[in-house]
Amino acid sequence: MRLRGWWICCVPMLAWGAPVDPVPSVMWAYYHQLFLANAPFVFDERVKLLAPPFAEDARQVPLEIDARAFKGDVVKILAWAELNPLPQIVDFQPMERVLPWLSIRVRIEQATPLRATVLTRDGLWHVGSALIDAAGGGCTAPSVVRTQPGWEDHLGEVLGGRYPRATFSRVKLHVAHPMDNGMVSGIPEFFINHAELRSDDNRLLARMELFPAVSENPNLAFDIEGPGPTRLTLRDTSGSQFEAAIP
Amino acid sequence: MSPRWIMLWLILFSLPVLAELDYGLKPRLIADDTWLLEGSTANFTKDNGGNIVNVGFIVTEAGVVVIDTGPSRRYGEALRQAIARVTEKPVIQVLLTHHHPDHALGNQAFKDVPIGALAGTAELLHAQGDSLAENLYRLVGDWMRGTEVVLPGEVLQAGVKTFGSHDLQLLHLRGHTGADLAILDRKTGVLFAGDLVFYQRALTTPHTPGLAQWQADIATLQGLPWTLVVPGHGPIATDAKPFEQMRDYLTWLDHLLRDGAAQGRDMSELIRSPIPERFATINLARYELTRSVTHLYPQYERTQMQPINTQQ
Repeated sequence: MRLRGWWICCVPMLAWGAPVDPVPSVMWAYYHQLFLANAPFVFDERVKLLAPPFAEDARQVPLEIDARAFKGDVVKILAWAELNPLPQIVDFQPMERVLPWLSIRVRIEQATPLRATVLTRDGLWHVGSALIDAAGGGCTAPSVVRTQPGWEDHLGEVLGGRYPRATFSRVKLHVAHPMDNGMVSGIPEFFINHAELRSDDNRLLARMELFPAVSENPNLAFDIEGPGPTRLTLRDTSGSQFEAAIP
Repeated sequence: MSPRWIMLWLILFSLPVLAELDYGLKPRLIADDTWLLEGSTANFTKDNGGNIVNVGFIVTEAGVVVIDTGPSRRYGEALRQAIARVTEKPVIQVLLTHHHPDHALGNQAFKDVPIGALAGTAELLHAQGDSLAENLYRLVGDWMRGTEVVLPGEVLQAGVKTFGSHDLQLLHLRGHTGADLAILDRKTGVLFAGDLVFYQRALTTPHTPGLAQWQADIATLQGLPWTLVVPGHGPIATDAKPFEQMRDYLTWLDHLLRDGAAQGRDMSELIRSPIPERFATINLARYELTRSVTHLYPQYERTQMQPINTQQ
């Protein structure tokens, strides 16, 4: 047959229309299945995942997740670091008054693609991506907290601040906790895995699941619309509960 | 293929690997008896082999005093050869300004000479040297081959140390790493400022005890009777411009962090802050801002937050 190779011409068409991943990733398909259950998605620049180009301190890498383009339409935001041994970072559900914006510091084990995926009410996942370079070792480095004598006495202590902006206020939190991820020899998992923000009248404003990729002594920031005090509840894997009031 | 052909191919393809890595060190006379090996103001790369640092030596009547030994064993050995091309006098003393790898990893080439450093420098090099060296292997690669940490054997204190006709005034300062040695040659007026002074190259902050301390050290250095300033990184100067640039940059950085914390700005927001036009000549300002914010911002942030626990 002279035309045996004709189908070769159609190969480019197979790739046509397939979403173009903005970062070089070997694991997107895997995580798409694992965390998003193969649900429909788009790579979307409107989900801003802002990370420095390199991790100066692989144990404290600042991430900013900005999905304010979908304000009022967000069900939840999942974030992970693809090449981390423990990839998951956070499952954030902003509800009333809390904007779909989050700042968090994380551990990075090596240079990796980062993802922040936003589920909107129409059932579509919007995927924001970033790439970070790192010397590595952030996840397996020994704890800094545990070298400080008397750290147990400060467990769960929360430092907070509220900073007014034009249409909302920024709430920043710093929590004393070793956030042991189970990867340091002889120290089992022990980390804050749940956080809630509630209004004065006990309405749930935002809920958050945290995973061990979150840095020790977690730093978190939210943007909250409207005035009034806000209550924060944290729970760790040993069942301890910590409460704080944001003025 | 005959064995002879295979041999030929092997030689051909391994030529780039066999090519000798050469720092091309050329000492420059900057004052009487005083020589400088000026590094680039770039970052560590596989092209420069870590030669981003200023290393000096003073040829005294008693012998040669070397100030810092460079980033690798290869550099240290090249430095020794460069010194031998300039003078027949033996090297009699090494003075380390601080423990950072680009200044102290050439020590292996000076094992036969007393290597002096502040007590704090020796402790820091002992604690961090291996991981600092490891990071340099990652950044510059094969230039580092065979490089190992050699700890200083002599503890230096503030005061005057005399070599031949050169009275060297040693200052124990802290701003850059917590243990920083500055050296003023009272005979020539040359001030080896170490990394307390960066000029036209953004300063680095991984081990600074605080920017206020650094500012105080700059004032101390500027008040000395110097005629020529040798920064740890960047071009030498006979005027006060390096001090002015340091003061300006440190003040800007301090205000940026303080105002950012007071306004509750996020760390990654601060990393993206615009860099003032007047710092356009400073190499690596953007890169070092990312690093400095990571190092320093958490302390600034905490001063602007209050304990808010209701119960535990």
